[in-house]
Formats: sequence, structure tokens, C-alpha cells
Amino acid sequence: MLSRVADSLYWMSRYLERADHCSRVLEANYNLLLNPSKPSREQRWHRISASLGLTGDLGSADPQTSLVRLIAEPRLASSIVSCIAVARENASQVREQISSEMWERLNQLYHEITQNSMQMTVDSEPLRLITLFREGTYRFQGVTDSTINHGEGWHFIRLGRFLERACGLSTLLDAYFSTAAGTDDLDWVALLTSCSAFEAYCKVYTADLKPEAVAEFLLLNPDFPFTVRHSTEQMHNTLHALANIASARKTSTIERMVGKLQSSLAYTQIDEIMPRDLHPFFTDVIGQCHRLHAAIHELYFEYPIESMFEV
Amino acid sequence: MATTSHSADRTGSDPFSAYQVQSAYDEMFRSHGRPRTQYRALHTRLLSMGPDELRRCKQEADLSFFNQGITFTVYGRGEGIEQIFPHDLLPRIISSAEWEIIDRGLTQRITALNIFLKDVYHERHIVRDGIIPGEMIYTCKHFRRQMRGVKVPRDVYVSVCGTDLIRMPDGKFVVLEDNLRVPSGVSYMLTSRRVMKQIFPLLFRKCGVRPIEHYSQALLATLRSLAPEERSSPMIVLLTPGVHNSAYFEHTYLARQMGIELVEGRDLVVHDNYVYMRNTSGLQRVDVIYRRVDDDFLDPLAFRPDSALGAAGLFNAYRAGNVVLANALGNGVADDKAIYAYVPDIIRYYLGEEPILDNVETYLMIDQKQRQHVCDNLEKFVVKAVGESGGYGMLIGPHSSSEQRALFRERILADPRNYIAQPTLALSTAPCLVDDEHVEPRHVDLRPYVLYGDKVTIVPGGLTRVALRKGSLVVNSSQGGGSKDTWVLAS
Amino acid sequence: MYYAVRHFTRFRYSRPVWQSVMELRMHPRSEHMQRCFTFQLSVSPRARVFRYVDHLGNNVHHFDIPAPHKHLTIVADALVEVDAPIELPSSLGIEAWQELDEMIRHEDYWDMLQPSHFARSSPELEQLARDFGITERNTFDPLEALLLLNEKVYNGFNYVKQSTQVDSPIEDALRSRQGVCQDFAHITIALARNLRIPCRYVSGYLYHDDLHADRSADGATHAWLEALIPGLGWVGFDPTNNLIAGERHIRTAVGRDYADVPPTVGVLKGSAASDLQVRVRVTPSDAILPPDQELASDQEWSRFLERDQQAELLQARQQQQQQQ
Repeated sequence: MLSRVADSLYWMSRYLERADHCSRVLEANYNLLLNPSKPSREQRWHRISASLGLTGDLGSADPQTSLVRLIAEPRLASSIVSCIAVARENASQVREQISSEMWERLNQLYHEITQNSMQMTVDSEPLRLITLFREGTYRFQGVTDSTINHGEGWHFIRLGRFLERACGLSTLLDAYFSTAAGTDDLDWVALLTSCSAFEAYCKVYTADLKPEAVAEFLLLNPDFPFTVRHSTEQMHNTLHALANIASARKTSTIERMVGKLQSSLAYTQIDEIMPRDLHPFFTDVIGQCHRLHAAIHELYFEYPIESMFEV
Repeated sequence: MATTSHSADRTGSDPFSAYQVQSAYDEMFRSHGRPRTQYRALHTRLLSMGPDELRRCKQEADLSFFNQGITFTVYGRGEGIEQIFPHDLLPRIISSAEWEIIDRGLTQRITALNIFLKDVYHERHIVRDGIIPGEMIYTCKHFRRQMRGVKVPRDVYVSVCGTDLIRMPDGKFVVLEDNLRVPSGVSYMLTSRRVMKQIFPLLFRKCGVRPIEHYSQALLATLRSLAPEERSSPMIVLLTPGVHNSAYFEHTYLARQMGIELVEGRDLVVHDNYVYMRNTSGLQRVDVIYRRVDDDFLDPLAFRPDSALGAAGLFNAYRAGNVVLANALGNGVADDKAIYAYVPDIIRYYLGEEPILDNVETYLMIDQKQRQHVCDNLEKFVVKAVGESGGYGMLIGPHSSSEQRALFRERILADPRNYIAQPTLALSTAPCLVDDEHVEPRHVDLRPYVLYGDKVTIVPGGLTRVALRKGSLVVNSSQGGGSKDTWVLAS
Repeated sequence: MYYAVRHFTRFRYSRPVWQSVMELRMHPRSEHMQRCFTFQLSVSPRARVFRYVDHLGNNVHHFDIPAPHKHLTIVADALVEVDAPIELPSSLGIEAWQELDEMIRHEDYWDMLQPSHFARSSPELEQLARDFGITERNTFDPLEALLLLNEKVYNGFNYVKQSTQVDSPIEDALRSRQGVCQDFAHITIALARNLRIPCRYVSGYLYHDDLHADRSADGATHAWLEALIPGLGWVGFDPTNNLIAGERHIRTAVGRDYADVPPTVGVLKGSAASDLQVRVRVTPSDAILPPDQELASDQEWSRFLERDQQAELLQARQQQQQQQ
């Protein structure tokens, strides 16, 4: 597979996941934002923007305005609309490599979101747009899994999705657990809902919301798709499959990196990390993800030409 | 014929009732109501259909084109807009005897033009022997001096050619234009055949239509025959300018049909005179490039330094024989509209044969006498800029205003080498479905595709382009033209 | 006369660049009055060098460097012999024009007669021709016309180092009445082509000695022109120094103008400011220059090309032996 094609598929997938993650977080917190309560809307918004890894004036501006911007502002690179646009741009570069159903889904989603977002004002219902978007991405993922070969391209799509997810989840958990002060039950519900995990959590732990249990579930549960551990395991599998396909390449570094990340989560108990300050832990996971991305980029997409000619 | 009137009576709505056979040659009718032999089966079928069925067929065809994503890009304001390629439901039918002449004529022409290109870039006998003035060659915009002395694999310059033919009022096919650089449109020929087979399956069998579906395999075989001999399983790729190119659909279509990689310039790397593509599994050597990128953009080192569509050093790898480009570079010197006037002489000079397919009478504006004659009678001529294509830069004399003629006169006098003139031609007409219910004549041309590798292959058929606007003579898709499936009959 | 020529070129980049692809036209030609005996090219960073002969008969070397680098150094060493030129007659007679037209009719001089990218006509150039009083063929024979043009350009323009760029149009020099050898050659070519005299651009080197007060800069490449003169063939004129090209002129490449024959042309990836340093040294010699401390600096030169050529030569000999 051409490096350019793999690169586009990978980024298409990352941007879609980024938009998806953002929409889940916003959806889960939207109702909380409406409540005039303690902690204040501003404090809550501050946590939301931290949990999305946002910087700059988005963290401090009026929550409602910021929320709308985060959904629909095309000039804001981290907005949902922008992410969809970049994902579509990447897909359009490799249209002949993805199925026509995938392209149509994504194209349609883009047009729906951009059209609707233009009409959206601060006062209207942002949830409607989020719902529209969420349905669109679910459909796109379904179509992706059912209409193309589960070969190299599909693996790069999955790699992008799970790497982005691992980063996003770690940032999110970091925002909740590193500064746990002023967190009530509603916040824990919002956190679980941000990961579509409330129901799944209840099946394991009942509706008893304990920070340790929430952390254990979202960080270390191997079976639920929106957990850090599950994401890293998927990355591990995908990278292993890719290493088998590109057997001529020196994939050992990447496999070692992802193996280390995956096993560090697989063989960790929550009570080993929970008593300590969690922030360095999450920072480390995110750092490993970034290094993994750099290694993937260097091995598969933009490898130095001269490395191919070294004798 | 009795059957004709009978059928018409039966349905009560003859779709041909408004069909006027004009002074131009009509592909279907000898005279009103008398179809030519090869069209009889179609005629009978159409008479039996009735307007509802016709409309349904047209809708079914439209849907099929849409679903196959057969589009081209029109550039207007900023972003290009994708449009469904306009097509007409009724096939254009060519008898086997007519095709036999076309086939021989095109083979003769591509053979001669290939020898011409080799000569132009090597010994230049044709100039020394005074057949073509050197000036005509050196002033050609697409002449590539860098190609002088470059050895081209198998001496094949033109591997893929799309020749535009038109039919004169006497029924003879003549050549209007050779396209020897990056001819396009073949995907429309192939996809429209697929659609027509769904719509008229029985008619296909009844008429004995010769297949064209092997075009992609023939193209692949042609490309493979050009590969360096020592490469037992050569890597063949299609080089596209990218998603924003108007023919991108065709590039993806052909790459998929041939099962070869679709690459862009940024996927290619040249190192130590070899060309590689950047795969996830590492660099892979490329042997043959079916390039759909114009000469000037192929290599920023050798040609336009600002081009990002090619790869630096590609031309040197080509010169060294380490990669094959199809078509070769510099072919534009042979499809220049002024050089075109010399093609009959080119055929006689190299092959010692009379041309099987004639040219359209052409006046060279660089010649003082011819220029005078044309400038004095501009309203009778079609004037074309030699380097332009796609129907741009043209004056159609009979349809022009005196201001337009004055403007062209000025342009011709300012740069006579850049213009030629041809008499206004009555392109033949073929039946077209108008408003989804009745049939009217519209002007058509024919672009068959010729492949030349270790042998010449011409799939029986081509792209029939049709001027969908009533009375219009412009068949280019960018200017209101559409296409028709072209049926060549087996006997 | 024998010369050892060392042509040193160094590109320095403010940031690393990569995938540099470069072509060089530095190999002295072997024809007529000149023979190039040896030619060696050293490139750093190391690269495999390839060679071809372009459509104008110039030797072109090319190579690519994929890995990031911040400098690129090229040293070309040549040993060349140049014969003393034949004595030119003082005039040819006015009928030489017919002879010239006859030559043009029978041979292919088209490219050297037409305006080209740098050597083209313009209102400024036509004015210059009027100022010089050389707008038509009538009063002089072709040789006289060229000699006059050579002298008039020499006298009419000041030589000012770096007053123009390599890609400056001649109009810059025409307006300011100053320029470098490249401008003077282009202007003279354009003027001569207007008289329908085939003219070509020559890039090369000039040997500077104490006997001649040359205007052109020592230590740099040089450019002049050649015109087709009936009975004499291509004759070199050097308007920068008001010379007939002779024993001191060493020719590396010919073309329609500079655009056909730049000594170096390249494409690279990365974005960086670049700084180009060129030094040329021409020494009368019987042998190739020994390694030079001043020019060769501290680089370790690769000798890939030399090895390749020797291998080719060996292979060619082996094939001959097998055939015999």
C-alpha cells in the first residue's frame, strides 16, 4: 500500500475519532451545564475544556458560547465541524481506496453537519446536531467494517481510531482524577457517559459510583471499547497485523513500544496507581501514545528515503 | 418499408415523427423513414417501445451512470463541481465494412506518426528531405528539445492514442485531430457499454455487437510490452495529477480495471536513476508509468521547476532506460494542429502508401497565400489555435459576429503560426433522444482508441461524442457535449 | 596550450534540506580547437554520479542526495588543451551574407536564429541597435558586424560584479548600461540574431594572465558567444573583454542562452535559505592539479565517478576482446 494512502486513512480515522470523542464529552456534560449549581457552570466548563485538552480562550469564555463554537466553528481547528472536514479531505484523497459507501456516508455527514451548523445559534439546541453527528459516525464505522477488505488499509483505519481514543481517554481521565476536588456523583455519571460507559459500568459495579471503580473500569477494563486498556490492546493487535504484512520492515521498535504500553495496563491493579498522584501516570500514557505515533509515522508514512538504501 | 409503418401505426406514437434528415450525412437514415441496414434492428425496437418505455430506459440508464459514479469535474468558481457525464440513450452503429477501413486507416496513421516522432527527435530526415519545414517543428509549443537523441523503448512514442474522426456528407470517415499526448475519455466508452448492455440486452445479441470490454487488458498488455526486458514481473503504475484533475474518475477507473497502483507525483522518488514508489512496506521500484500528467509537469528538474505533480530526476531515469513513460514525452509535436496538415505527406513519406483515412482540408496561416484567402473569407471557415484543445480558442465562421471575426483576423496576423483554418464541416448526424420521448438528429464525431506496444490494438468502438444542443457542432464535454455508446457490428 | 581547471561550488543551507537532485554542466567540450583529456568530479555528501550528453552535445553530470544535509560541495577538475585560433581575415566582403543565407537554408540553425528566453528582442534592444548603427545587414559583412557589435557592447556597458542576477532579463542591463558577462553575451546574441546571424551562448572559463587587462572577474565562470561566420564556422566573441575567443577561452557548454547551460541546476526538498560560493582556478599546466589546500578545504572527496568511468572503460575493452 502506498504510504500516502495509509497516511490518509490513518488521519481520516483519527479525526473522526477526535470529533466523536468531543461530541460524547459535550453530550454528557450538556445537561450539567444547564443546571445552576455548585460547582458553577464556569468551573464545570473549565473541567470539560481540560478533559478535551483544550487550551486558550475556550477554557475561560462563556460556556454556552464556547460550546457552540466547539461544535460548529469552522475556523476553530478542534471543533467537531473542522475535524469532520479534515477527515473528509483525507478520505477524498483516497476515494478509490475506500468503498463508495464509506465515502458517501462521510460526505453526507459532512454536508449535514455543515448545513445544520450554519443555522445553529447559541440559543438553539446543540444536542440535536450532536445526535445527528453521532448517528453518522456509527453508521460510518459500521460501513467501514462491512464494506472493505480487512487488509492493510482497514488496519490503518483501526490504528488511527484506537490511538486517538487512547489519547483522548487518558486526557479525559486525567482531568477528572488529577484534580478530584469538587467532584460529585453527577460528574462521575458525566464521565462514564462521556465514554458511553454508564450502562456497562453498572453491569459490573452496580450503580455504586466510587472513584476507584470508575477509574478501574475506564482505565483497565479489557472488554469495553472505550477504555484505555482496550484501546491499547487493539493498537497492539493492529500493529502486529501490520508488521506481518510489511514483513520486510524493521517493526521491532514499534512492537516493543506498543507491547510495553499494552502490558503496563494489562498487568496493573488499580490500587497500585490510585493512591498516588495520577497525573504523572496519565502524562506517561499520553507521552507513550505520542511517541508511538511518531514511530508509526516514521516507519510507514514518511520514512527517510536514504534509510532504504543503506547497505 | 412496410414493417416500419406498421409498427408506427401499432404504437400510435412514432418517436421519429419529427426526425429531419438534413444535408449532413445521417448515421441512421438514408432518407426519411429508411434506416440503413445496420440500424434496422434498433429502428424496429424503438418503434415498438412507446414513449413510456423509452423514458423508463433513459431513467434506468441515468441511474446506472449515477451509481457507477461516472463524473467529470467542471471548473467554475473556485472548487470544481462534479457532474454526471451527459450521455444519450441511443447507440451509434457502425457496420463491419466501415470499421474495417477505420481500423486499417488508424493502424496506418499511428504507425507513420510513431516513425515521424522518432525521426523528428533523431535524424530529422523528413526535414532534410523538405517534406516538412523545420520551422514548423521548432515553433511547435509541444516540441521537446530534451527528447532529441533519447532512446525510447521499442521506438514506441505513442502507446495510447485517441483519434477524432468525423464523417463527411459523402459518408467517408476523415481524421479531424490526433490526440497523442494524454488522450482521455476511454472510461466513458467502457462504462457506457456496461450501461447499454443492461438496457438493451436482447438488441446486443440480435445486432451482433463486437465486444470492447477487453480494452483494459489490452492497455495493460501494451504497457507490459514496453517494460525493460530484464524485469520479469514489471511494476506498472498509473500517474495521476490527483483528485482535482478533471479526468480523475478515469484514472481511478483504469487503475482499478487494470489492477495497478494509482500514484501521484509525491508517491514517487528517484534515486540513482531509478524510480521508486513509497509504500508502507518500503520503496518499490517502478518500471512502467502510464502517465496522465502533461510533459511539462513530469519532472521539475527537466521541465517546469514549479511542478509538484511529477518527480525530480524522472526524466533522467527515463533517458537512462530505467523507467518507461507511456506516452513518451514530446508527442505534442505530432498532434499539433498545423503539423496535422502534413500527416498525409508523413504517411506517404515513411510508409510509401496513400493515406487510408483522409484529413480535413486545412489551411496554414503561416503560409501567406493561404492566410490571405482565409482572412478574406473568415465567415466560411473554422479557425483553431494550434496548441489548444477541448474546443477552446476557436472561431466558427458561419456562427460568428463581425467583431469576433475582426478579433480573430487580428490574432492570426499577430501570430500566424498559432492558427489554422478549416472549412466549416457538416459533421454527420445521429439520432438522439430529446426530452426523453422523441428522437432528433444531432451532430456526432467518433474517437476510437488505438494502443501500440508490440502490436497495434484497436478495440472495435470508441467514444461517440455528440453535440447535445440542437444545431451545435461542438462535441466537447466541457461545452455541452455528451456521449453515446458506439456499436461496431460483427458482420 | 594546456590548462588545469578547478571549478569549486558550494551550497550552504540555513536548515537541512534533503532529496537534492542536481545536474551539472562543467565538463569541458572536446571539439574543434579544444580537447578535454581528463575530468574528475567530487561531490560531498557522497553521491553516485551519472552522466549523459544532452541534445546540444554538452556533457551533463547528475546525482541525488536523499539524506538531510546542510551543505553540498562539488569540485570539478579538468585537464584541457586549447589550440591557438586561426587568424581571422579583416573582412569577408558583402557577398558573405548570401553565403550565410545559403548555409542557413541547408543546415539546421533554427534554434540559434530565433529569440530565446534570455536573448530576445525588446524596444530597449532595438533602441540599442539604432544607437550602435547596426540595425541592418547592408553596410557590413557578417564578420565586421560581429566585431563591431563586440566592441560596441564592450564600450557601451560597464562591467559591474553582481549588478545583475543569473535570472535577470537583459532589459535590466540595457536600462542601467551595466552588467556581467552573461548579460553582454545575451545582448550581443540578440543583436546578431536580429541580423539573422546564427548565434549561440557559450559558458566556460577564461584564463587570466598578466599580459591582458581583462574586465571579467578572475576566479569565476565566464560566458561569451559564438556566431556562425561563412568560411570560418563558429567564431567566438567575448564582448565582456572585447576579444575574439581564442587560446584562453575554455568552453564547457553551448546553448541558445544561459537557460540551456547553467553550470548547476537542482531541485531539493525542505525550506532553507541558501548561500552559493563558486571559485574557479585556471592554471597553465601539463598535468592535473594536485589536491589543493585552498580549494579542497577539509572535505574528504568521494571519487565515485572516476571509478565508474574506469569500470566502463574496462568493460568496453573486455567486450572488444571477446568480440575479437
